[in-house]
Amino acid sequence: MCGITGFTLPTGLKPRERRDRFGERLRAMTAALRHRGPDAQRGVLLDGAALGHARLAIIDVASGHQPMRDEATGVTLVFNGEVFNYLELRERLDYPFRTRSDTEVILASYLARGIDCVEAFVGQWAFALWDPRDGSLWLSRDRVGVRPLFYAVTKDGLSFASEAKALFAGRWLAPRLDARAVHETVHLWAPVPPRSMFEGVSALPPGSSAQYRDGLLTVRRQWDLDLSDEVVDRGMSEARALDEVGAALTDAVKLRLRADVPVAAYLSGGLDSSLLCALAQEQLHGTLQTFSVGFAQARYDERAFQHEVAKALGTAHHAVQVEDADIGALLPDVVWHAEQVLLRTAPAPFLKLSRLVHEHRTKVVLTGEGADEIFLGYDLYKETAVRQFWARQPASPHRPKLFKRLYPYLPLSQQSPEVLRQFYGDGLEAPGAFDFSHRIRWTNSGRVARFFAPAFVERVGEHDPVAALRDVLPARVRGWRPLARAQYLELHTLLSGYLLSAQGDRMLMGNSVEGRFPFLDHRVIELAARIPTQLKLKVLNEKYLLKRFARGRVPAIVTERTKFPYRAPVAEALVGPHAPPWSREVLSRAAVDEAGVFDGAKVEKLVAKLAAAKAQPSEADNMALVAVASTQLLADAFLSRPRAPAPAHVAAVELLEDVR
Amino acid sequence: MSPREQLRKFISDTFFVDDFQDSDSFLKNRIIDSTGMMELVAFLEATWALKLADTELKPENLDSIDNLVRFLERKQSAR
Repeated sequence: MCGITGFTLPTGLKPRERRDRFGERLRAMTAALRHRGPDAQRGVLLDGAALGHARLAIIDVASGHQPMRDEATGVTLVFNGEVFNYLELRERLDYPFRTRSDTEVILASYLARGIDCVEAFVGQWAFALWDPRDGSLWLSRDRVGVRPLFYAVTKDGLSFASEAKALFAGRWLAPRLDARAVHETVHLWAPVPPRSMFEGVSALPPGSSAQYRDGLLTVRRQWDLDLSDEVVDRGMSEARALDEVGAALTDAVKLRLRADVPVAAYLSGGLDSSLLCALAQEQLHGTLQTFSVGFAQARYDERAFQHEVAKALGTAHHAVQVEDADIGALLPDVVWHAEQVLLRTAPAPFLKLSRLVHEHRTKVVLTGEGADEIFLGYDLYKETAVRQFWARQPASPHRPKLFKRLYPYLPLSQQSPEVLRQFYGDGLEAPGAFDFSHRIRWTNSGRVARFFAPAFVERVGEHDPVAALRDVLPARVRGWRPLARAQYLELHTLLSGYLLSAQGDRMLMGNSVEGRFPFLDHRVIELAARIPTQLKLKVLNEKYLLKRFARGRVPAIVTERTKFPYRAPVAEALVGPHAPPWSREVLSRAAVDEAGVFDGAKVEKLVAKLAAAKAQPSEADNMALVAVASTQLLADAFLSRPRAPAPAHVAAVELLEDVR
Repeated sequence: MSPREQLRKFISDTFFVDDFQDSDSFLKNRIIDSTGMMELVAFLEATWALKLADTELKPENLDSIDNLVRFLERKQSAR
């Protein structure tokens, strides 16, 4: 796994001129991604395009260098990620392979089929491919957005990179926060693609390809999730579903263990990661290493479960403990890597965890993201199911009481049917509305907008985040059932925009570790879509089928435990006696007013409230604090005191005039 | 300060909202969330030396400035 970057440049320049005019820019861009690929950084200046690559060597360590070029056509590729079924694809390709790498399989596949070759890939990728035959620069990104890819179209052409910071290092544009993206993020947890956090920088949407040719950019979606009733196999029995899920997951894990370096696994102590560890341990015949986060504060900690699973599976287990003070100390780097306004501190422990993995000289981990989305694990799905049931008889005094079963930990004051009605009855009259499942969550997080500075509110204008999302949704999604729509929204907002990026790829790559996600194998996703809903969410029993499959494979305490949401300390870690040194400075009234997004006076009141000795921060207070702190840190690292790549790292980028 | 003014100041200071009507539902408008309700109850009990029974924790008593003012008047006249 790696970092990629590059740009188009005028054709017809002499090699010397190309180097003089564009060499340093390509070097700086490639160096800005060094954390993603510390093993080698190389760039090539071709007639028409420049491509840079920072390599984390995993497959064909000896000869899988990039950029990689096809001799006959001059087609040249830089690639971040993995095409796991490259061995099977390779057998079907008639091509004079010179390496054992999956990179060369992409090259050969493209030459055989054009960009539609990605339809046969099982994997997680972002790549850029220069085709000199027609002067096209192609960009492609995997189906669910495991690997990132950003681009900017400027008067000079197209530039692209795994992270936006490389575009700024190449001076294609100056970083400026996109007000609408900030507004969208405080409601939806991420900007609506293709918008990114920065003005002028776009994210290539997951499952899409883009062609840039003669100054024109064409973006096309090549894969999307189909959750319509028509794909559901109504006749599927529980026994058959279990067989098929077992076979698909086993193969997804098997393909993801392919590497020329050891593959380890994250173990949270929950169902999904425990199951993956069990499947991997079986295939590795007992050599699996597992890595976990523990919290000093007991209410966030799951170590008892992690130890139980590690012991039962016999893995070589490593754990790191996160103290409140770590969260504050890590947050500036978290934001620098994530390049995003955050609503939770939960990514921070993952940055500490990937450091532990890196210290154990491990480059690859399996991780359990995606299971909750596709096998219906989240409370949000149960909430949607209950609201749907209630919406059929809105006047019923009994139906809202189901929320007590759903959220037994809610304070008493919320539990009378009238209170539940006020809180969860929002939008009940319109179960067909596209945001039926998410409106409560989005309205709740949207409370952060109360802290916006008046001038910022003016900049945002009439922009409505929920409407912006609605406008990019395919029309067919609106005809689906509420649960199917909920899943689609979850995959296209929280999963790709936050869990896989801010909390996933960026926290892993921050310490040069590649994550692999068996539950997000598209064959597993498509199988889950075919399985009848009641086998996944059985009344209010979440992930029923996955639990059945896990029974006997992981310790019973894991399959029997109630779902434990992963959280990390917020207010106690960022303000008050354990506050990090940066907190006082960037959260000061003057600094907040200076950045211009939030209202300094309101933030001052919030900080005072949360720093009080007996403070009991509400969910809304915590989210607002993280939103403000991450915005301030983002402004600090990208706008006021931009971090440039170290000169030594820039100089270390090997610049080639040609590659083979 | 009248109870109405005291309540408005508390809501505004604690939940960081200025722009709401006395008749607006706190819950429906997401002015207050689950922990917020606890904060509100603690504030009522401390400020007016009251004790609220579980049966009194309902929207018609607590879910807007208007409802709170009426509830306080009833509570105090009952003493």
